[in-house]
Amino acid sequence: MSLIDAFSSPNRQYGHINAVLICLSVGMLSAAWLLGVVSVAPNRIVAGTSYGLVTAIGWPGALLVSLLFVAVGGLAIKPSRLHYCAQLCIVTLTLLLMPFGLMVAGHWLIDPTLPQARLGIGAGYWVALFLLLLCLVELRLRLELSRLWTTLLLSSVGAAWLVCAALWLDNLALVQEFQARDKQFYRAMLQHVVLVSIAVSVSVVVGLILAMLMRRYQRLQRVAFALLNFLQTIPSLALFGLLLAPLAWLAANVPFLAQLGVSGIGTTPALIALIAYSLLPMVRNTYIALDEVDSNTLEAAKAMGMRPRQRFWQVRFPLALPILLEGVRITAVQAIGLTAVAALIGAGGLGTFIFQGLGQAAMDMVLLGALPILVLALIVDAGLGALADALRPGGHE
Amino acid sequence: MIELSHVSKHFGEDTAVDDISLHVAKGKFCALVGSSGCGKSTMLRMINRLIEHSSGDIVIDGQAIEHYDLVKLRRRIGYAIQSTGLFPHWTVARNIGLVPRLLKWSSADVKARVEELMCLLGLPMDEFAHKYPHQLSGGQAQRVGVARALAADPDILLMDEPFGALDPITREKLQDELAKLQAQLHKTVVFVTHDMDEALKLADHLVVMREGRVVQQGTPLALLQNPVDPFVESLLGGLERGLKQAALTRVKDHMSSLGQSLPAQSRIPGDFSLRQALSMMLRDHCDRLTVVDQQDMPIGELSLRKVVKEAQLDKVSHREA
Amino acid sequence: MKRDGDRENLLMTAGPRWLWPVGWALMLLVGVWAMPVLEPGFRWLEPDARQVIYSRADFVSLLARHVFVVGIAAVVTISVGVLAGIAVTRQWGRDFLPLIGQLASLGQTFPPVAVLALAVPVLGFGTLPIIVALMLYGLLPVVRNTLAGLHDVDASLKQAALAMGMTSWQVLTRVELPLATPVILAGIRTSVTINIATAALGATVGASNLGDPIIAGIVNGNMAYVLQGALLIAFLALTVDSLFNALQQQLQIRLSAP
Repeated sequence: MSLIDAFSSPNRQYGHINAVLICLSVGMLSAAWLLGVVSVAPNRIVAGTSYGLVTAIGWPGALLVSLLFVAVGGLAIKPSRLHYCAQLCIVTLTLLLMPFGLMVAGHWLIDPTLPQARLGIGAGYWVALFLLLLCLVELRLRLELSRLWTTLLLSSVGAAWLVCAALWLDNLALVQEFQARDKQFYRAMLQHVVLVSIAVSVSVVVGLILAMLMRRYQRLQRVAFALLNFLQTIPSLALFGLLLAPLAWLAANVPFLAQLGVSGIGTTPALIALIAYSLLPMVRNTYIALDEVDSNTLEAAKAMGMRPRQRFWQVRFPLALPILLEGVRITAVQAIGLTAVAALIGAGGLGTFIFQGLGQAAMDMVLLGALPILVLALIVDAGLGALADALRPGGHE
Repeated sequence: MIELSHVSKHFGEDTAVDDISLHVAKGKFCALVGSSGCGKSTMLRMINRLIEHSSGDIVIDGQAIEHYDLVKLRRRIGYAIQSTGLFPHWTVARNIGLVPRLLKWSSADVKARVEELMCLLGLPMDEFAHKYPHQLSGGQAQRVGVARALAADPDILLMDEPFGALDPITREKLQDELAKLQAQLHKTVVFVTHDMDEALKLADHLVVMREGRVVQQGTPLALLQNPVDPFVESLLGGLERGLKQAALTRVKDHMSSLGQSLPAQSRIPGDFSLRQALSMMLRDHCDRLTVVDQQDMPIGELSLRKVVKEAQLDKVSHREA
Repeated sequence: MKRDGDRENLLMTAGPRWLWPVGWALMLLVGVWAMPVLEPGFRWLEPDARQVIYSRADFVSLLARHVFVVGIAAVVTISVGVLAGIAVTRQWGRDFLPLIGQLASLGQTFPPVAVLALAVPVLGFGTLPIIVALMLYGLLPVVRNTLAGLHDVDASLKQAALAMGMTSWQVLTRVELPLATPVILAGIRTSVTINIATAALGATVGASNLGDPIIAGIVNGNMAYVLQGALLIAFLALTVDSLFNALQQQLQIRLSAP
């Protein structure tokens, strides 16, 4: 049971003013009107000039946007299921319209004679987008939308954005960054996913074995937890760095390992560090999951004459599975972030763009790395969360 | 048949069970009663070797339990506990079919057996078979627990406060059903409870325990008539003891033949208890009842004097014996 | 529901509890001031390097900046996070509870690097983006644990307190908060420890702190630099972590005292 379920009252009353959506609506309006929504830069390094809402999409556009935002807040004064549904439609519509705003702004503000000129997304735009997504979360909670519906809604919005970006948003800085290195991007994406998958699967297997050993030998439990906790205190950046030296030495002095591809820089130290970090959440959750299975249930299994192996695989393990998967989820999400840092020691992956971009002061390149990492983390989080729910027998708990 | 002789259990320094001897004949219902921590649960769990005893002998059907194969021993002993211990990730049907499946029955046999048991315990198959334990009420879950314990038709049934967590009404209903079931199945039952009324109602043989020792054992009536010390007496209800004793005695066994005088107005079936007869007299302000058979035909009469005197006579005869 | 409380007692159980933080702090200070003394050791590690002790900035100021960044972020994070947690659990703020709760658990998903990287385009290079990123990132465990801690306070206790005639302010300050403190403290501990490590990434966006030697070491292939940065950050993290551990134990003793 998640924290939110624990708090939310089952009988959410309608009819009483919804302050959340009104605040969000006011927030969106102020972001759109007070902050720059887009910026235009003559090339990829120079910082752009920022433009407000009216300059970007003209009075009609600005009024349309404001109307949509006001409608979201206005409908929240007297909430009902119907109003919430209407708000959901408005929010979805706004999300779908947002790339067209960029298109219009690009058309008006960019001088077509400058091939290098590009359109940047401004703070106002980002804040409004973020608040719109919050509206979506709030509406989802109020309407008690299922996971499936939310996923469908979000993926259709995402797909629409991708289509717009591919077809019409050529002068958007992010798109230009992508087009300049699309092969590189796909390779980095693949590398990222592969690194994370290997690290997570190794730590799942090792974690399970270690947790089972720890259940048997209590002394091992103390030592292993102390060690793993200590490892977590070392900053990831430092651990990546520290592995460079011994591995470089090994590669130089043990030719066999060098042939296997072990080297100070690159994938090997990255993987070792990733696995080391992944072990703590994995082992901890696996251990707790196996340990917290109701002792009455286990004793009943024993009294019914189940053999130890049967008790483990038919009772303890399936009952531990949801918490165990929660561990996999935490580990995977953490590994996605850490793999980004691993780019610093040449492991590749999406982090490459972040650090290259920071090095060249090319902010759009930073975004090209950071946004997909964020999306990847959210997708993995939602996917594994759904899996854990599905494996919970009969909607248990 | 279960035979315990001089059984003790030590946990480190502590003695949980101290030199207990006990005989449960085949088909008998034995209740272990005592306050919590008196060692009754420990004793129960030593019978299916969830806890190994430290010394003494536990013999089942003529063979010491340590000579049985551990797993086989447990599969031939049914076990039901207070929290039910149902597997939350399995359906009701699968939970009940657990032991038969462990014993490698064919799936058709398992299915038939599950159906039979659910019918026996009043759980309609199509309503409950596919439910998960957390979707059941306390009473329903407990029925499933009992059904699971009975699944492989064990001779012996161990029950550890199976109705302890239920509300009084449900508890009473399940007690009645268990009594009916026992009359039908004649299992050898060892039943742990701290509720003396439950024990009096169900048991053929009552064992009162305190601090790991047996204080007194015997038939419920024998204990009620002659508690050995104040502890047992208070456990049996102190002043209420007379009424409890009356509750265990049938009207039929104490009535006198119909006299010459006019039959009394109030009628009572012969299967009712003396306690109910007393209650009826109090209600109807009379000191005589006409005892009737199932066809409502008078078969005798019962007077207040007789009720009081019979109880006294019982006590005297018991002392003499 | 997972909480960040289960770390306690696993790392350091033995010994008087205030000895550990003092010990680690001493190690940290010795490391900061006496790093040059260890030159022979580092020389052995990197025999060919021109220089083995990081010298572009002295360690004292690097440490000071590191602590400053994490400290500012922590102060803001704790005050905003705890206040927000309290606000949304009051009657008048309940409307915001589902959203904030959802946000707090969703936010754990955001990788710190990505948050940092997203802060830079908006705020530019330097110390500001790292402080903001640390604040955003550190806020979530604090809010989450504040919510969990307040939620776990037995409802019947609150009822009893109200029934005795306490005002809702008194219920909050005398019943709810004291009982929720261990869980809130665990959240703050997670937040600060993560931030100490994450702050090192600030070196990549131009904020100079203990991450500097590490980045410089990775870029130049000089292990001695990496080791110096890593050691000092680890000591700092262990000092703070053991300090929280000691605090938590102190609290536990007080709460469980008869």
